[in-house]
Amino acid sequence: MANMGHNNLNAKLVLLGDMGAGKSSLVIRFVKGQFLEFQESTIGAAFFSQTVAVNNATVKFEIWDTAGQERYHSLAPMYYRGAAAAIIVYDISSTDSFARAKKWVQELQKQGNPNMVMALAGNKADLEDKRKVTAEEARVYAEENGLFFVETSAKTAVNVNEIFYEIAKRLPRAQPTQNPAGMVLVDRPAEGSRTASCCS
Amino acid sequence: MPSDTNSSSSSLSSDSEFHSQNSNQDLNPNLNPDSIDLSLDAIENQLVSISMSSHPETAPFDLEEDQSEPTEQLTTMIAQMNGEIGEEVVVDEIEEEEEDKSTMKAETSRLFKESSSEVWRNNSEEEEAMSPSSSGYAGERGSSGDAATVGNEIDDDDDDDAEDEIDEAWNYGVSESQEQWAPQKRNLDEDDTSISWRKRKKHFFILSHSGKPIYSRYGDEHKLAGFSATLQAIISFVENGYIACSSSFVIISSFCFPIRLYICLLHCFLFRGDRVKLVRAGKHQVVFLVKGPIYLVCISCTEEPYESLRGQLELLYGQMILILTKSVNRCFEKDPKFDMTHLLGGTDVVFSSLIHSFSWNPSTFLHAYTCLPLAYATRQAAGLILQDTADSGVLFAILMCRHKVISLVSAQKASLHPDDVLLLSNFVMSSESFRTSESFSPICLPRYNPMAFLYAYVHYFNVDTYLLLLTTSSDAFFHLKDCRIRIESVLLKSNVLSEVQRSMVDGGMRVEDLSIEPASIMGTMSSHLGQAGPAADSPGRIREAFFGIGGPAGLWHFMYRSINLDQYVSSEFSSPINSLRQQKRLYRAYQKFFSSMHDKGNGPHKTQFRRDENYVLLCWVTEEFELYAAFDPLAEKALAIKTCNRVRQWVKAVENDIFLLGASPFSW
Repeated sequence: MANMGHNNLNAKLVLLGDMGAGKSSLVIRFVKGQFLEFQESTIGAAFFSQTVAVNNATVKFEIWDTAGQERYHSLAPMYYRGAAAAIIVYDISSTDSFARAKKWVQELQKQGNPNMVMALAGNKADLEDKRKVTAEEARVYAEENGLFFVETSAKTAVNVNEIFYEIAKRLPRAQPTQNPAGMVLVDRPAEGSRTASCCS
Repeated sequence: MPSDTNSSSSSLSSDSEFHSQNSNQDLNPNLNPDSIDLSLDAIENQLVSISMSSHPETAPFDLEEDQSEPTEQLTTMIAQMNGEIGEEVVVDEIEEEEEDKSTMKAETSRLFKESSSEVWRNNSEEEEAMSPSSSGYAGERGSSGDAATVGNEIDDDDDDDAEDEIDEAWNYGVSESQEQWAPQKRNLDEDDTSISWRKRKKHFFILSHSGKPIYSRYGDEHKLAGFSATLQAIISFVENGYIACSSSFVIISSFCFPIRLYICLLHCFLFRGDRVKLVRAGKHQVVFLVKGPIYLVCISCTEEPYESLRGQLELLYGQMILILTKSVNRCFEKDPKFDMTHLLGGTDVVFSSLIHSFSWNPSTFLHAYTCLPLAYATRQAAGLILQDTADSGVLFAILMCRHKVISLVSAQKASLHPDDVLLLSNFVMSSESFRTSESFSPICLPRYNPMAFLYAYVHYFNVDTYLLLLTTSSDAFFHLKDCRIRIESVLLKSNVLSEVQRSMVDGGMRVEDLSIEPASIMGTMSSHLGQAGPAADSPGRIREAFFGIGGPAGLWHFMYRSINLDQYVSSEFSSPINSLRQQKRLYRAYQKFFSSMHDKGNGPHKTQFRRDENYVLLCWVTEEFELYAAFDPLAEKALAIKTCNRVRQWVKAVENDIFLLGASPFSW
């Protein structure tokens, strides 16, 4: 859950999506500014943190980059539980990955925190010639489901920082007025989250 | 060296104790150093007979138990196998050839007939006679061209291949190079019709009991569905007791393998519910391991002993359990045709790196782990801070440098099996993703609890050194992260991490540093593991006699396994075991030696001495340790024995630095 003290906000963010969609690449581009052509499969989940400054405040993202493999699916709640934001990633050159992304959205709508900021990222936007999922199709879906949508490319860095900044901007407004059903993963001060809503 | 000859009872003394304790394999007890030349032949003859008795070359299968009468019977039958019998069987079955392959999975016996009819060949002498037209299945694959060259097995290509691999691994595992061994899934374009695939020396397959491929070392699993189905048929046939009471056998001339697999369906009296575990076919042996709904198969022509190959399959299975837990079996209960490849997505690299380690990592057959050499105090410092975290709810805390343990501790009453250490470190090191960031991942320790996941916090302090914190709680990430931060600061403060780097540069024990002078062993230890002092530098007579290669008395390499500690130490490779091919060959020789020492059938040996064109190998087993040593092939036996004693004393003298003592999880 996003915690706000003074002008600092801690926000748990989770990346979900099919294997090979580019979740790790997005995070690594965002956190380290790097890109690997052959990013290896993530095992379990990798943890990153990165701080961004928006509107006089800093948001420290605690990012869970989850593995897309099927075997880890049942463990996903462990990572998205209590998350303030989620980026659901698909690969614009794969309709399967888009279908998978929709399933993640459904799951989050059912199980996740209702106030979670959700972003849909159509990754690998540089592969225009291999495109299978049109931006329009995704935009319509995103609007229907109240997601924030953008096409990204971890390779060319297009819209990568932007998506995280946009989430950071939306976070405070999304703060719950009541204590959410989601659980805080660890013994972080829970009080902060209740007072957070006033600052945005 | 009088101290050697009348040393304590556990010491080797050349004449009295140093011969095999097993009367059948007695290595000529009359042998004494003066008459070595005369008795060499005798030894070799003995050794030949040992190897004959433990691995009957005459019979293309392994008989686990009593081999008296049925063996003869079968042997004669097998002698005919190359001839008419094969033809007869094929003729019987040939009508079924055209049957639809889709029924293959219907019923086991039927399945077996069908698939075997597809694979049987008319004339077993005719290596290239795999005619696609006679089999709907082969025709479908349309590969008669490939088949034509199958007869000429090429052993070298895979060896070269493997050497490339070991080369890379060596960089990865031992040298300074930061280069990663990135075991990409290789040869994905290969399938069972490719010549290159058929010529691979060592195949590993995992398949489900319904014949669905799960993993193949070479080639794309999905393209190997037909081959998998054949293996499944063979195993099911054997498993389900289709071995009738009469001794019957079937020849499978594999359509998809360069060899004929002789499936010898043995007297059920011989097996009595026990399973056929090994099939020999010419140079190839096929080893099966059945684990519930999961079948593991190794087909190899590497001449490794059955026990080793089986051990490797066990590890492969363990690796799979580590990723999925044994509860994956439930998926097969729900749906026997369950396709497991999805569950293992992205883990090819874990399996291939494990298979690769079978040829360079002695842990895979010694069932022991090895420690990075470190000063006692340094290791102690690392152990203390790890113990702190273990007391705070962490089940296992392991600090490792590549595949070597720096320190490990466990919560009370939990114990970590060396195989789990091996599988865990293989998993972590082969998965690049752990290096990018700190990770939190479910893993299962097959020897600890194969049914349940633990959660592993993994963090690399630098390219080689990593920390593993294992817990039962899925919510513990931030606690473990805090533990890691505390551990890291202590390790930095107490210079453990820099000592680790230094140790990696310095390396481990070197045979050149072994002093043959007994006095020096009591002397002060140098900062490193070498035996300091003039003795190490003054070239002894013996060393000169061996052209300055290796250590004293022609000692080239040794491995010492402490039985109580479940740890081993091995010397660094040095001249003349320089090339990776030689190193691999030496490991294979050790491996063979190891399994012959542990062969239940022949009774436990205490010592063995073997001489071949490559080495003199010496093995010495007590209740406390096992020592394996390789010498120059011309090494004198008496000197070799003395040298082994020196090695033992040397290891004893530096045990504080090379082993993890006291804090061993096995002691509580």
